[in-house]
Amino acid sequence: MENNILVLNEVSKSFPGVKALDKVSFAVKEGTVHALVGENGAGKSTLIKILAGIYQAEEGTVAFDGEKVCFRTPYESQCKGLSVVHQELKLSETLSVTENIFMGNLMYKGKFVDWKGMRTKARELLDQYSMTMDVNEPVSNLSIAQKQMIEICKALNHKCRLLIMDEPSATLTEREQKIMFETVRKLRSNGVTIIYISHRLEEIFDLADNVTVLRDGKHIATMPVSDIDKHSLISMMVGREMVNEYPKEKFEVGETVLEVKNLCRKGVLNDISFSVHKGELIGIAGLVGSGRTELARAILGIDKIDSGEVLLYGKPVKVKNFRTAINHGCGLVPENRKSQGLVQIGSVNDNICMVNMDMFIHSGLINNKMQKETSREYVEKLNISTPSVETEVQYLSGGNQQKVVIAKWLLKGSNIIFLDEPTRGIDVGSKSEIYLLINDLIRHGKVVIMISSELPEILGMSDRILVMHEGTLKGELTREEATQEKILELCV
Amino acid sequence: MKAEASVQVNKKNVGNQILGKFATFTKSYAIILAIFILGIVFSFASPYFLTYNNLRNILQQTTALAIVVIGQAMIVTTGNFDMSLGQNVCLTSCICAWLIKFGGFNPWIAILAALLVGTSVGAFNGLLVAYGDIPAFIVTLGSQMIARGFAKIITKASPIPGMPEEIQFIGRGFIGGSKYGIPISVVIMLVLFLIFTVIMQRTKFGRNLYAIGGSSEAAYFAGINVKKHKALTFIIAGALCSVGSIILLTRLDSAALTNGNLYEFDSMISCIIGGISLTGGRGKLIQGLFGTIFLTLFFNGMTMLNVDPFVQDVLKGCVLIGAVVIDVVRNKKR
Repeated sequence: MENNILVLNEVSKSFPGVKALDKVSFAVKEGTVHALVGENGAGKSTLIKILAGIYQAEEGTVAFDGEKVCFRTPYESQCKGLSVVHQELKLSETLSVTENIFMGNLMYKGKFVDWKGMRTKARELLDQYSMTMDVNEPVSNLSIAQKQMIEICKALNHKCRLLIMDEPSATLTEREQKIMFETVRKLRSNGVTIIYISHRLEEIFDLADNVTVLRDGKHIATMPVSDIDKHSLISMMVGREMVNEYPKEKFEVGETVLEVKNLCRKGVLNDISFSVHKGELIGIAGLVGSGRTELARAILGIDKIDSGEVLLYGKPVKVKNFRTAINHGCGLVPENRKSQGLVQIGSVNDNICMVNMDMFIHSGLINNKMQKETSREYVEKLNISTPSVETEVQYLSGGNQQKVVIAKWLLKGSNIIFLDEPTRGIDVGSKSEIYLLINDLIRHGKVVIMISSELPEILGMSDRILVMHEGTLKGELTREEATQEKILELCV
Repeated sequence: MKAEASVQVNKKNVGNQILGKFATFTKSYAIILAIFILGIVFSFASPYFLTYNNLRNILQQTTALAIVVIGQAMIVTTGNFDMSLGQNVCLTSCICAWLIKFGGFNPWIAILAALLVGTSVGAFNGLLVAYGDIPAFIVTLGSQMIARGFAKIITKASPIPGMPEEIQFIGRGFIGGSKYGIPISVVIMLVLFLIFTVIMQRTKFGRNLYAIGGSSEAAYFAGINVKKHKALTFIIAGALCSVGSIILLTRLDSAALTNGNLYEFDSMISCIIGGISLTGGRGKLIQGLFGTIFLTLFFNGMTMLNVDPFVQDVLKGCVLIGAVVIDVVRNKKR
């Protein structure tokens, strides 16, 4: 008979003006991988924070291992055996692996810290999960995947019985993801219960035993993963029928718009050459660290190049800084939407118009009215969900924020738009809208170059796929010939 | 999708929005309320307090600092701060006075020279912070000490008194007669606030400063020349220091090492109390003005109540800490 390790009963939580959780009730069976899915804003974060002890529920009860609990601090929850591996890793970069694993939980020999004991224990934990890193290594030297492992060991060290993993695969490469999945399975076989939050539904079907769907703060359903398929799951998350996940449209291919010849940057890019034509969506695939973002940055003048040429509409252009690239019609939707794509405390209006202020200036002063009207136009055009153009973008959902970034370049009239991980961390519904937007861009004669770590996305949307590997352009595949295996082969 | 998503966002964010607007409103105008309350409290302590002359006097006292606050506010908006503003004022006062008294220069040429010096100090700061990538705290601490050193050299540590009549009107003159008129220094201050408010709110330069303060990375990725803008804020602040220092010099009628003393802290406190956040990207210049008025009023009142000047020093430190705490709490609520 399986034991319910966690039972939520009518848990509610409000913030000023928002009901984040509305009488949520469900149970998690011990020793299972329990997936938690829902669009951004569905209430997943709030729920985790309540379980972790960062927030407290206003109504309802949480029972952990049969006992009613109300954690006031993360420390309380950890001591009881409930730990969280957050999406943004909470490690101390300058401290060693051992120190991080034992953070807040040091071993003592009498009055003094037992370094030897801790190092031994740390080594044991790491070996259990086939990790080879040195226990004295400063954490800053580790890769993100390795850091995540340290977080997991930290949790295990607290005799963790329920581990909550928040978007663990978002920042990992394919290979690292596979290792992480193995770890999750191992944890499960060791009796640890895992609540697994992810936007990547393929993972859910691969790893999880049960799944809970939240929508708008309400519990929609909890069921074994085997009882549902991806299509229905998406429908439940989104509340409506989702037709086509990757709405690809083919457009007529025209002149060469961008040509890159023998681009080199010592240690980063090796002799890269390719060309992009009007009407094309080029996907750039590769592992994390293969140089994809660096390639975009080099073409756009953000980083200096050692040698090579960039030709726009057939003419060689000396791109000495990003502003030059912008003036030649290039745009960039950066990887990090929060800190690079938008000024978070700025309004929708401010952000949309930021690149193209000159358009609103008459005799030295900005025409505020004209600016707002133009912003409203674009909000409508792109279907951006916001109470007003004066709303600060930080209050918008990820998908809508991304639309604001794209609107920025549309307003500028950029013809060559680079997208770096455009749908990362964005819910299913908004993803689809972004794809339709991308189609629109190409329909209007613009060229889109999309860097993505999501192979289904690359395969679903690209006309041609460039695969990067350690700074070299390993291969080029057309839409017709590309498969996930072929791309992966080139990636490694 | 649109209707549902709108409803979804509206439900969650209209609440936040209304609260946000209300909070901004009270934050912007809280300082005015505080000024009124302070005025009322002090009026009980002395019947002379609420007279036109006294209030006009207090306003005159704020002018030099308020003009410096414009510069500091612009720098703070981009996420930096300038520790050298006080000694910049001191140095430019001293140079101007020395050129007039000992150099025999025409006072207007001396003023021009002072403006040049103030702007150069600003340029020094701006270039090192923006292009040298050195933290503003360190650069301006250094230039603060350098400026003071030069001021000491020039004055040989003794005040230079007695400015010529032709420029005295700047700090002491009135428009509309000395009985009921408006001080020229106040007019200069208000005009400068008007000009720079327009710059901050209605020009590309000003809006870019807000963008940089919000996120200099995002500003860069929007094509803004972040370094140039940051450098310019320091240069402008330096220039404004010299304007403030001339007003101070002609009002006090003397250049001493005490001119502009601690203006960098006072300007910071004024910005924060007024509602301009230290983290940058927010706040209107006018809030800085109200903050300055509050600060000057506060310490004016202290003096009137015969509070020991050393106790006032302690109070000033407390006010600074209090202001920063309020700022942090305000930011947490966001």
